[in-house]
Amino acid sequence: MLLRTASRRVASAVLVTPVPRAKAPTRGLRLRVVDHASQSAVPPDAVTAPEAESVLRPLYMDVQATTPLDPRVLDAMLPYLVNYYGNPHSRTHAYGWESEAAMERARQQVASLIGADPREIIFTSGATESNNIAIKELEAAIRPDTSLVSVMTVNNEIGVKQPIAEIGRICSSKKVYFHTDAAQAVGKIPLDVNDMKIDLMSISGHKIYGPKGVGAIYIRRRPRVRVEALQSGGGQERGMRSGTVPTPLVVGLGAACEVAQQEMEYDHRRISKLAERLIQKIMQSLPDVVMNGDPEHHYPGCINLSFAYVEGESLLMALKDVALSSGSACTSASLEPSYVLRAIGTDEDLAHSSIRFGIGRFTTEEEVDYTVEKCIHHVKRLREMSPLWEMVQDGIDLKSIKWTQH
Amino acid sequence: VVLVDLSISLPAQVVDHYENPRNVGSLDKTSKNVGTGLVGAPACGDVMKLQIQVDEKGKIVDAKFKTFGCGSAIASSSLATEWVKGKTVEEALTIKNTDIAKELCLPPVKLHCSMLAEDAIKAALADYKLKQEPKKGEAEKT
Repeated sequence: MLLRTASRRVASAVLVTPVPRAKAPTRGLRLRVVDHASQSAVPPDAVTAPEAESVLRPLYMDVQATTPLDPRVLDAMLPYLVNYYGNPHSRTHAYGWESEAAMERARQQVASLIGADPREIIFTSGATESNNIAIKELEAAIRPDTSLVSVMTVNNEIGVKQPIAEIGRICSSKKVYFHTDAAQAVGKIPLDVNDMKIDLMSISGHKIYGPKGVGAIYIRRRPRVRVEALQSGGGQERGMRSGTVPTPLVVGLGAACEVAQQEMEYDHRRISKLAERLIQKIMQSLPDVVMNGDPEHHYPGCINLSFAYVEGESLLMALKDVALSSGSACTSASLEPSYVLRAIGTDEDLAHSSIRFGIGRFTTEEEVDYTVEKCIHHVKRLREMSPLWEMVQDGIDLKSIKWTQH
Repeated sequence: VVLVDLSISLPAQVVDHYENPRNVGSLDKTSKNVGTGLVGAPACGDVMKLQIQVDEKGKIVDAKFKTFGCGSAIASSSLATEWVKGKTVEEALTIKNTDIAKELCLPPVKLHCSMLAEDAIKAALADYKLKQEPKKGEAEKT
C-alpha cells in the first residue's frame, strides 16, 4: 500500500507505481511511522531530527465519515498535482488546454455514473455546498407555488435506502423539484437521474474513495432547473459556481466515479457478505442487540447496532483499536443523541447504546472478524459493569423504575 | 512493544479505570450496613449505582459500583468508590465533583459525569443513614 509504511524520507518522494488493490494489513492493524515534523514544509535537519517511533494505528471501520483514497484515484491525480498544473480556464496555452481537457473528462466520468449529461454536472467543494445551492434554488423559483423536496438517498447513520424512484415519480407528477443528497449512495448503488426523475443531486468526493474538498451538483437541463449561484466571481461552471475549478481534485473525483462504476457490483456483493458475517456473528453471541433501520431497504456497508444496557461511548473507548462511531449523546458536541434514531422511534436508552460499523471497499474479512471478536468481548465486559444489565438479570422491568432526574 | 495513541481523545486516567477496574460489583443491598445510591436515567445515557459498606464505628470499609455511561462516567464512579473507602460517613460527604474532575483531567463537556458521581456518593450515604433509623418517625430527607 502506497503511503501506509512510508518513512519520512520516502514520504517526501513522489510515488507513481500503480497498485491494483490495497493489500490486507497484517493482523488488521496498520504500521505507520509517527512523525509530525513531516507536515512542515521546510525539511528538518536530518542530523538533529529525533528517532521516529513505530505506532500501530486502529482498524478503520468508519467509512461513512470518510474514505481513504483509492490508489487508482491517487495515480490519476498525481500528474495534475506535479506536472500538469495549468488553470483549466486559461484559454491561451497548452497548460490551460490540457487542464481543461482533464476537467471535462472528469465531468464525463461523474455524469456517466448517474446517467446524466456532462453539461448537467457542476463541480463544487463538496456535497454540503451542493446541498446549499440546491436549497437556495427555492428563492429562484419560477412560479410562486414551486416547492422542493429534498431527501437523502442513503442515510449516513443507519444506511437506510429511501424509495428514490417513487419519490421522483410523485414529485414529477406534482411538478415539484426533487433534490437528493446522494453522498453515501453514488458509486455504491445504481443511480439514474432520468429513471428516478431526479432534478438535483449532491455528490461528495471523499465518501467514494476520492479526494476531500471536492464534490459536484447535478442540475437537470430538461426540463430546465434554475439555481442561484452561492458564490459569484469569474463566471466559471456556467456561472453557477465561480472560482477556478481545482483540476487535480476533480480529476480525482472523476477517477473515483469511474472506478466505482467498474467496481460497484463486486463491491456490493463483497460488502454484503462481510456485513452479513458481522451481524450474524454478533447476534449469535450476544443477546439484546438491535439493528437500527429497515433491514430490507438498507445499504449493507452501514450497520448501526444498539447493544442494550451498554453505553455507546464506553464501547468505543473499549474498542480502542477500531475506528468507529456512535449515535450516543456523549460522542456529539451537543450531548444530544442521534436525531436519526429518535426519528425512527428508537427508545432513548437504545439510542445511547448505538454503534455504527462501516464496511467499505478495502475492509477485509480479517478486520471484520477482529472487530466482531473485540466487540463481543467488551460488550460482555461492559454488561458486567452495568447496573441496568444487573437489574434485568434480576428480573426487574427497567421501565417500572423511577429514575432520578438530573 | 506497540502503543495506540489515544492521548488525543481520552485522558489515560479515564481509560485506566475501564482497563484495570477496581471495585466493580455489588454488595448485599438488604444488609443494614450497606447504603445503595442509584442515580441518573437510561434515557440520559448515564446511570450509576454506588454502594458502601459501613462498620460499627461509622467507617466505610468497602465500596462497589456499576455504571451505564461513557468512559468518563465509569472513571468518575470508579474513583468515587476508591475515595470513599477508609473515610467515615461524614468525611465522605465532603468529596466534591470538582476534585473528581481534576483528578481525571475531565474536559468541560464531561464535568456532568463527576457531578453524577458526587450525587451517587450522597445517595448511598443517605440510604445508609435511612437504614440506621428505621422506626424512629420521620426518615431523613434524601
